[in-house]
Amino acid sequence: MLRLSRFAAPTVNRLVSRSIAPAASRFYSISIPESSPVRKYGSGDIKLRFSKDHEWLALHEDNTAFVGISEYAADSLGDLVYVELPEVGTTVEAGDSIGAVESVKSASDIYSPVEGEIVEVNEQLNSTPGVINKDPMGEGWFVRIQLANPNEIDSLLDDTAYEEFLAENSD
Amino acid sequence: MSFSNSIACSMSRFARNYAKIPTGVRRFASASGAEGKTPLYNWHIEKGATMAPFAGFSMPIVYPKIQSHIESHNWVRSSSGLFDVSHMVQHIFSGSEAKAMLERLTPIDLEAMTPGTGSLTVLLNDDGGIVDDTIVTKLDDSEYYVVTNAGCREGDLAYFKQAIETEFSQVRHTVLDDGLVALQGPKSAEVLNSLTQFDLSTLKFGHNQLLTIAGIPGCRTARGGYTGEDGFEISAPADRTAELADALISANGGGVVQPAGLAARDSLRLEAGMCLYGSDITKDTTPIEASLTWVVAKGRRSPPRNDFRGAEVVLKQIADKSAAKRRVGLVATGRGPPARGHAKIFAAGAGPDAEPIGEVTSGLPSPTLQKNIAMGYVKKGFHSSGTEVELEIRKKRFPAVVSKMPFVPTHYFR
Repeated sequence: MLRLSRFAAPTVNRLVSRSIAPAASRFYSISIPESSPVRKYGSGDIKLRFSKDHEWLALHEDNTAFVGISEYAADSLGDLVYVELPEVGTTVEAGDSIGAVESVKSASDIYSPVEGEIVEVNEQLNSTPGVINKDPMGEGWFVRIQLANPNEIDSLLDDTAYEEFLAENSD
Repeated sequence: MSFSNSIACSMSRFARNYAKIPTGVRRFASASGAEGKTPLYNWHIEKGATMAPFAGFSMPIVYPKIQSHIESHNWVRSSSGLFDVSHMVQHIFSGSEAKAMLERLTPIDLEAMTPGTGSLTVLLNDDGGIVDDTIVTKLDDSEYYVVTNAGCREGDLAYFKQAIETEFSQVRHTVLDDGLVALQGPKSAEVLNSLTQFDLSTLKFGHNQLLTIAGIPGCRTARGGYTGEDGFEISAPADRTAELADALISANGGGVVQPAGLAARDSLRLEAGMCLYGSDITKDTTPIEASLTWVVAKGRRSPPRNDFRGAEVVLKQIADKSAAKRRVGLVATGRGPPARGHAKIFAAGAGPDAEPIGEVTSGLPSPTLQKNIAMGYVKKGFHSSGTEVELEIRKKRFPAVVSKMPFVPTHYFR
């Protein structure tokens, strides 16, 4: 789960409050681009899900899932300049922090949407965090997680539900 | 707040007739909690701004269709940005007691200032704590233009009311409903030059002049701002503020001035080492602790003019260097996450159980320096430039060094 501005200073909160989220009128892409490394990882079906805190999760047939933040979230945060990734091998519960992303104006935790083990992190983000803004569901993926229980994704939103959620919740 | 130094110069007349300004329109936030709208609200919406509540107003944070936060920040450092700061509170204090009242409430020396000049100062309480920071401009001996922070609006109004009711009953206090915009950046002067007959080379940093800009008379224009760059803060009649903003954006063929939001305003002011009231300075900090000793004018430090509120505490801290904490600049020495407000500050090499020596009040990754910068308070003894410290971020500590401010050199027109 992405929690906007969790670590942000009162300074920053005063400037960039929870309702910093951009207007809903804008179109946000919620599909994985053809060129995405997330797509290229496996040849089988990919199940795409979203959390209500604007993370996406792409589950492959080997029961590992790429996780990142949605275009909407990346847009809300602005230019990302720093990323804190978890260590490979870390086991996480749903809701555990798996790192943080920071823009000039705010810092946000990223929480795992599922239970599992971190099996890969996107090291490229350490040197070029702005990739998340440019290609949030492609080169900007955050981690790959081995799911403890693949059925857990049923509690998340599919793309249609997420699109409706965006329309309802951004004003 | 705006510019960070006091300057004197000569000015002629300030002909604006304040009596004509409608004061019945309360465009600020109502008690019902709905956000107020500045005269540029629709202008921001048309430009696709991301709006957010700030100090009771719906304010633009960034204009994503035009520039990202970092692009906007860099634009102000290299060209010119236009900020809506109409949420700030503009006051006129007039009458024979106006000077005495402002000198009771602040440590400013209005006698040493020439009409047409302004200075940053602080409203103080009896403990020497900062009630707000403010720019006070002397229009003439009995008329003063004062700009205070939006977030302090209600508190400041009560504070002034109390001073008038208890001690300075002859002071007339008017709150203006005018719009206020800040044009900031190295190309601001050439842009403004193209829209006014006035010779701006005679308007130095800290000076104030009524101008006709783009055919709009009565634009009270102060040279200075909150970014460290050359620039102007222009107060214009509310019903013509959007027209002024359009003229500035289109000036010199367009493309020189871009609208800028509060996100860039915050990162620019921090690079310039300027305080944000409520974070970097509060009622619990004195100007000495806040490293703003220079706002205590030399002429106000000894009898008979050492009679400003809180003088006893403030002057003692100057005399015996007894301030227990000091506001300092902090620059991270390595790569790592930026420290934000409330990050704890530790002495370099302090053990895991050590007590912190202070706390960060503002911090972010500086777009200009490409380093993490912050300001915060440290215990006396740790405040000298070059002192090595550690900042705790998400339970890890990262090295930083106490540094002089501004972090980015200022470029004022003096």
